[in-house]
Amino acid sequence: MADPKLRFLVVDDFSTMRRIVRNLLKELGYANVDEAEDGAVALQKLNAAPFDFVVTDWNMPNMDGLTLLQTIRRTPQFKHLPVLMITAEAKKENIIAAAQSGASGYIVKPFTAATLAEKLEKIFEKMGRSGAA
Amino acid sequence: MTDFAGMEDLLQDFLTEAGDLLSGVDNKLVDLERSPDDRGLLNDIFRGFHTIKGGAGFLNAGELVTLCHLTENLFDRLRNGELSVTAESMDIILAATAAVRDMFGDLERGVMPHVADGALIASLQGAIQGVAPLSAAATPAPPAVATKVAAGSPQVTSAGAGPDWQLLMSAVTGARAPSTAAVQAALPPAEPELAPEKIISAALGRRATDRPGVSGPTGRREPERVRDNSIRVDTARLDQVLNLSGEIGLTKNRLNALRRDILSGRNDTETLHALDLAVSQLDLLVSDLQNAVMKTRMQPIGRLFQKYPRIARDLARNLGKDVELVLAGEDTEIDKTMIEDLSDPIIHLIRNAVDHGVESASDRAAAGKPSKSELRLEARQEGDHIVILVADDGRGMDAERLRAKAVAKGLISEEEASTLDERQSYNLVFLPGFSMAEKISDVSGRGVGMDVVRTNIQKLNGAIEIRSQPGKGTTFVINLPLTLAILPVLLVRLGAQPFAVPLSMVREILPIEPNMVHDVGGRATMVVRGEVLPILTLSGLLGWPQEQVPGYGVLMQTTDMAFVLAIDSFAGREDAVIKSLDDFRPKGVAGVTTLSNGQIVLILDMKELLADGNAMQGIPRSALIPAQGEAVSG
Repeated sequence: MADPKLRFLVVDDFSTMRRIVRNLLKELGYANVDEAEDGAVALQKLNAAPFDFVVTDWNMPNMDGLTLLQTIRRTPQFKHLPVLMITAEAKKENIIAAAQSGASGYIVKPFTAATLAEKLEKIFEKMGRSGAA
Repeated sequence: MTDFAGMEDLLQDFLTEAGDLLSGVDNKLVDLERSPDDRGLLNDIFRGFHTIKGGAGFLNAGELVTLCHLTENLFDRLRNGELSVTAESMDIILAATAAVRDMFGDLERGVMPHVADGALIASLQGAIQGVAPLSAAATPAPPAVATKVAAGSPQVTSAGAGPDWQLLMSAVTGARAPSTAAVQAALPPAEPELAPEKIISAALGRRATDRPGVSGPTGRREPERVRDNSIRVDTARLDQVLNLSGEIGLTKNRLNALRRDILSGRNDTETLHALDLAVSQLDLLVSDLQNAVMKTRMQPIGRLFQKYPRIARDLARNLGKDVELVLAGEDTEIDKTMIEDLSDPIIHLIRNAVDHGVESASDRAAAGKPSKSELRLEARQEGDHIVILVADDGRGMDAERLRAKAVAKGLISEEEASTLDERQSYNLVFLPGFSMAEKISDVSGRGVGMDVVRTNIQKLNGAIEIRSQPGKGTTFVINLPLTLAILPVLLVRLGAQPFAVPLSMVREILPIEPNMVHDVGGRATMVVRGEVLPILTLSGLLGWPQEQVPGYGVLMQTTDMAFVLAIDSFAGREDAVIKSLDDFRPKGVAGVTTLSNGQIVLILDMKELLADGNAMQGIPRSALIPAQGEAVSG
């Protein structure tokens, strides 16, 4: 199912974590991955080049993942972009906040490639159904 | 063997990055003590622990996750204003930070972090509940919260409203770990969670799957220390290197074309002018490239400095002193290898300043000084070297006491002591076995430090000196070359053979005139501006025959002594690129370098040459006097 051409943007202030996510994506067959260290940089990158998928951490300096998500949803040219939130928080309020802001998925650290594959699958499935993709 | 077989790279990245992060947290904790209500600070510290926790999860380091999680929870409540920072909670937080650092130490050795101290975990849990730590340590972790939140989680399932809710819920309560996530969020797990082994291999990507027997020993790698030999370089700097190499390539092509023209007989002014231009351009580009490559090794010294305020604070607190460490010049860049080697010497200087330099609170009050003392750690670049200062505003050094102490310890004789000026007296603290403290404190140790500090600085081709003003304070000044790769040298000659001596040791060059040479106890000496200096010939130090009367002297300054090195002539200065002689290293030779004419020059290791007792005997005055001069004096 993996479309190797899909362009991923991985957003995390911790470069070790970006590398982990990048490796996991690679394992799933997605090699086209760019990185950004916070929400603000991510927005710059989104504006500079087309991306198909955003995977973002929640807690970051400058602009956190939730604000990034909200900004993406508010911006007409990005609003259909799938956004997967990755965080160490599994608190109810956080999940609700992410859902209300329009997160396409939510995944708790640490996770395996299988879990990631499952989340991506679900998101693609849903996009396919709504015809957005 | 390590507990992290197959994931060394990940571990390495984590340690480098998380180590920086933790140092940042340490510093912010010091700031926090001063402004305990700073939301921004609380938030930053919260994020630090949160990020470390996230990474540790992928390493499967359960103990580290638990500890970070608890600390993070405490900061969550602090930043939300539900709790406020007190002296007690600060102590717990600092202890937790130290425990995290200990666990990094375990990771560095390639072993899973040990279980955190139960009392620490209990007091953290107590602090989160807002209970005074003393009573909290006694009471086991209250299970009340766990039940409350566990009861809360079913609600989560039913509370779903938005269209994404189902998906999000399954993400959190996913098949793999149904309840751990919710519990983890609610209350720190009492036991380390053991995530499935899969997580490790997954996080590593293909590396683990490439190897059939992942758990088996993986061979060469030393488990002792996962030491970081990699370096993080700003891509802009690498781009610059790439650009310059490209331009050098173009200039090379130009030179090739010109060579063809010239070989085929064209040597008109225009061609020669083009050649001149191309060579000058190459010259410029190569030196730019050298600089650019050198810069990739440079790191801001702030990375080293940032761990010191915390150390200074802890020491001062242990000693009942109020000391603030002020940093300056953190952006100063220095060779990465030097940063690592400077770490311990600076720690020692800071300890020394806090312990011996700064007076006790009562002494400060008596001297009319503010109760809080300021310790400065400063770095700056001066020309082609780096200066690092460790300055206190304490009592200063007492030259008289230092001399008496050294004599009492049998390190120098009474006569030697009486000839020492203030600067030389201060330098006595660098003698092995010298410890100024009357009592051995656990802070500054047993006086094994200062001589080691100096040795380490000298290993980096640097020098350390002391400036002190009684009552005003003491400053240790460290001078270091910008890089270890390039050494400014003075080229001297013995007969026709050139040698290079490090320029950092050269104070001045002077002619040796027979009437300036005196005989002191059978040894030739010279008086330079009132200072009596022994004359040592280079031939004598090398064990070569003296074939002519040396015409020049180079005034050399080592940390222990100054002397005049007698040479035949000199050939100017040069920036030597040191090539080390790995397998074959004659005594007294630090390495070799090549001159512009292709000649190979030995770079002398003065310290090693001077270590030879016979060479230090000096030479009789007669050896320095030309034949007819001798007749006159005789």
